[in-house]
Amino acid sequence: MRLRRTDPHTLAGAYALDALGEADRENFERHLLGCEACHAEAASLREAVGWLAEPTAAVPPPRLRGQVLAEASRTRQQPPPVRVTKRARRSWHGIGWRAPRLAVAIAGVGILLALALGTLLISTQHQLRVQEAHSGEIAAIMNAPDADIMTVRARPHGSATVVMSHTAHALVLTTARLPALPSTECYQVWLMGTHRVKSAGRLPPPKQGMTAPMIVAGLAAGDRMGVTVEPAAGAVSPSSPPVLMLALPAD
Amino acid sequence: MTAELPGERPHAAAGGELAGLLAKVARGDETAFAGVYDHFAAVVYGLVRRVVRDPAQSEEVTQEVLLDVWRTASRFDPSEGSARSWLMTLAHRRAVDRVRSAQASAQREARAAVAAPDYDVVVEEVEARLDAQRVRRCLDSLTELQRESVTLAYYGGYTYREVAALLGVAVGTIKTRMRDGLIRLRDCLGTDS
Repeated sequence: MRLRRTDPHTLAGAYALDALGEADRENFERHLLGCEACHAEAASLREAVGWLAEPTAAVPPPRLRGQVLAEASRTRQQPPPVRVTKRARRSWHGIGWRAPRLAVAIAGVGILLALALGTLLISTQHQLRVQEAHSGEIAAIMNAPDADIMTVRARPHGSATVVMSHTAHALVLTTARLPALPSTECYQVWLMGTHRVKSAGRLPPPKQGMTAPMIVAGLAAGDRMGVTVEPAAGAVSPSSPPVLMLALPAD
Repeated sequence: MTAELPGERPHAAAGGELAGLLAKVARGDETAFAGVYDHFAAVVYGLVRRVVRDPAQSEEVTQEVLLDVWRTASRFDPSEGSARSWLMTLAHRRAVDRVRSAQASAQREARAAVAAPDYDVVVEEVEARLDAQRVRRCLDSLTELQRESVTLAYYGGYTYREVAALLGVAVGTIKTRMRDGLIRLRDCLGTDS
């Protein structure tokens, strides 16, 4: 298959070489999520790139070994990705539209599992960095003392769960079982205030029906959050009726 | 868990070995981690030093990379690629992050203005290892522009836009050369999975 030069696909080489700037890389990684062939190509190029280090091999100072091993022995390791069972997944749909804050703590485990599910199902090595960067922000919002949890039903089916922090003016959004879209379309998230409608970006493509946690920042009092179906490239303003809409609590 | 990597043809032994070690490291096996260190510290350190240049910083980054391996070994997924590729991706990204960080930016601009890292210098540092020779031979099979694009990005830590500026070639051309250069490299190395 021959590809036009404008195709983001051509960035696979630069991507495998870590030669993309931040913005380019994020765009390309978004592209990879929806493009199996590109993902496979990028992975195969990375295999080759890994060998480029061979000719530069140089023995490190001998003291480094002891330092590294000692540091490792006092460093906690990350747990492996865990697949969540259906039952655990269901538990967070039943949280209700706006749970009292006390319930946040109780529901926290379920939500964490759900978020982990969303994150980890799409966990691939090319995304490691994106996730690392985001997981701190996600944790900050979820652990905020004023975090609110909301679940809202989508039309015709599916749901979205939102954990919102007022002080952070930000929320974490995950969705489940939204209708699948053709590759020419995407779900786009909007913040709709009294004076403006602002795009908050596109939902990542779902994996097994779930979308990875997405951060929506810059919330203003009185905003509603809506999700619409738009062309794959995204739209400047909503062009279809929202599949879901959520009034964000103002306090 | 013994992670067999069906895609790894030429280097199955070393690659499979590393995957096995990583599985043990993920379970907290410090001896296995020492094994990873012994197999890969030189290639990680060499790469980091090539990109970062400063020996003290290179040591720091190498230590960060190897600790990343220790911390995140459980995240290695054999279905996504070889253990080697996973490890070298960690290493290269760490190195590149270091040179692209804000503190390094001023120094970096000066560096971009001076000479680009020299492919021949890279070659001179080659150990008489078969793998290194093979990589060299395969790099030689690239066109000059492909090779320069690939080596400036990988060893120099430059973005493709910077590579385009350094070589005075259109950004679109560099993008394409990086991709077709890597495809050629991949085919030459026989690492395609």
